[in-house]
Amino acid sequence: MKNQSSIGLARNQSREPETEAAFSPGLEIDLAGIHFQNPVLTASGTFGYGQEFARLIDLNKLGGIVVKGISAEPMPGNPAPRIYETEAGMLNAIGLQNVGARKFLEEKLPFLRTLKARCLVNVFGYSTENYVRCVEILNEGEGIDAYELNISCPNTRCGGMVYGSDPKLTEEVVAASKRVSRCPLFVKLSPNVTDITVFARAAEAAGADGLTLVNTFVGMAIDVETHTPRISNVTGGLSGPAIKPVAVRMVYQVCRAVKIPVIGIGGIASAEDALEFVIAGARAVQVGTANFYAPETSIRVVEGLRAYCQHHRTHFSSLVGSLRLPEDQPPASIEY
Amino acid sequence: MLDETVAVIENRPLTGGHFLLSLRSPHQAPLVRPGQFAMLRLPGHSDVLLRRPMSIYDVKLAHPQGSGKGKGNLPEIIQLLYKIVGRGTQLMAELRPGDQTEMLAPLGHGFFEEKYLEAARQADEVLHVAGGIGIAALLMPAKSLARAGIRQRLFFGARGVQELVGTEDFVPFVGETILSTEDGSCGTPGYITRPLEAHLENHRHQRFLLLACGPWAMLEATAEMACRHGCPCLVSMENRMGCGLGVCLGCSIRVRGEGHGSYERVCTEGPVFWAKHVMWERK
Repeated sequence: MKNQSSIGLARNQSREPETEAAFSPGLEIDLAGIHFQNPVLTASGTFGYGQEFARLIDLNKLGGIVVKGISAEPMPGNPAPRIYETEAGMLNAIGLQNVGARKFLEEKLPFLRTLKARCLVNVFGYSTENYVRCVEILNEGEGIDAYELNISCPNTRCGGMVYGSDPKLTEEVVAASKRVSRCPLFVKLSPNVTDITVFARAAEAAGADGLTLVNTFVGMAIDVETHTPRISNVTGGLSGPAIKPVAVRMVYQVCRAVKIPVIGIGGIASAEDALEFVIAGARAVQVGTANFYAPETSIRVVEGLRAYCQHHRTHFSSLVGSLRLPEDQPPASIEY
Repeated sequence: MLDETVAVIENRPLTGGHFLLSLRSPHQAPLVRPGQFAMLRLPGHSDVLLRRPMSIYDVKLAHPQGSGKGKGNLPEIIQLLYKIVGRGTQLMAELRPGDQTEMLAPLGHGFFEEKYLEAARQADEVLHVAGGIGIAALLMPAKSLARAGIRQRLFFGARGVQELVGTEDFVPFVGETILSTEDGSCGTPGYITRPLEAHLENHRHQRFLLLACGPWAMLEATAEMACRHGCPCLVSMENRMGCGLGVCLGCSIRVRGEGHGSYERVCTEGPVFWAKHVMWERK
């Protein structure tokens, strides 16, 4: 992980420390009508149901927790091996193992409700009706602040990927889920498409209150001695620092294509990483894979963002989408 | 379980690419129970992103008893016995005294949680079955059983004599040590399951508890043998792990019955399982 002290240096070196301390960085944000004490959330599938980290970090310092993907019924997951480390990243094919919506409400939600961090529940299904069913069950629970519709898990036939790779189906499942949802609905998009803005627009048109991007990139690793895939599912989702530049580019593109707020995610391991997403247009960020190897990352990101804003005497909100483009580069043109 | 920055005291090379890493960790060492593990992070290497799960080999006092130093009798040192098998362990081997590393420990359920204790009390003799670096999980259980006055025997097999590391550490705690090597360089030639089978055959009247740690095939064979002879058997499993905290679900293995679907996490429900609880499907 990058050294946090390298952030926000140089330009404001001469400023008095007292003045910096008094300056409010305005990290508190409102997204889709939900108030977050800061813009840093932990990503689905990397933070369990929150309680697992309670002994390691102060969960009350987080902006929000997105819990492991929940389905209407419990899911057993994929056979081992499920993960494989790659250069600056990892492949996973967990297979959406989860306790199911009912058990989540009974056993996991009561703890999450006690926290200052907002609780977002990642939802998936194997059909539009199944997504709707899951949302309906979760609607019975008290203390869920928003849903994050997972239409982008690459590792199961029923993980929603089919919905994330056909704009018509994206629209269908988002509209159906939105109709029954009691709380704001974010849609987590797949990067495994030719033009992600098409799917962003489809989700927006169907009533999504916000977008999360990106989910993992489909990848593969092979053991050359045995000629076998490194994970049992053959392919898996690539996450970690390796995907960050592609994720930043996609956030940049989508933020120019839609009006609803975007939460940026993909390889964030420091405040500087988070700032890239924010400057590209994200209103909030999620920390994912870094939670596995450095559980304190999200807290450091919060502190680093605060320090950056104080150093630069900038409110967080004015950083959003503050990218300065070269003058000869028309903002809309992206070739890839 | 604590996440601490710890200092390397010693990283002693042993035979066959094995090392014994001693880390100063006064907060974590007193918490360790036999069979638990640690997740070690090697910061500054983006190609080794994830922490590495390591059996805790032993805990030690900072100063030997009677030297008049140290804080009472609480251990302050955690020892990890490991073998270079890939990039992560290669980097571990480069650690020098004074270097710092990050360690999450102790993790998982050990061998003598309440649910397993009864089996140990009922046994006439505990048989440790180790394959290769699996030996690393068994020293602390052997020590704690010796303190309880339980008779023990060690079956330890490896590829060659160079891989039979740590046997001398078991001497004070086990009655007899039976060795085997695949290349025949020491002890019985072949797999360790052969002398184990012979021992079970020759002592049919005795009640054994088996504690095993090693490669999947050895554990599977040991589990099958234990079942055939009606002996309870505990296995310490290993798997690739993403977090060690129970959240990535990357280390789940197939088990019988209910509980988190039909999978359980090696890091959280394990690493020690009843052998009959594990589904021994081919990896």
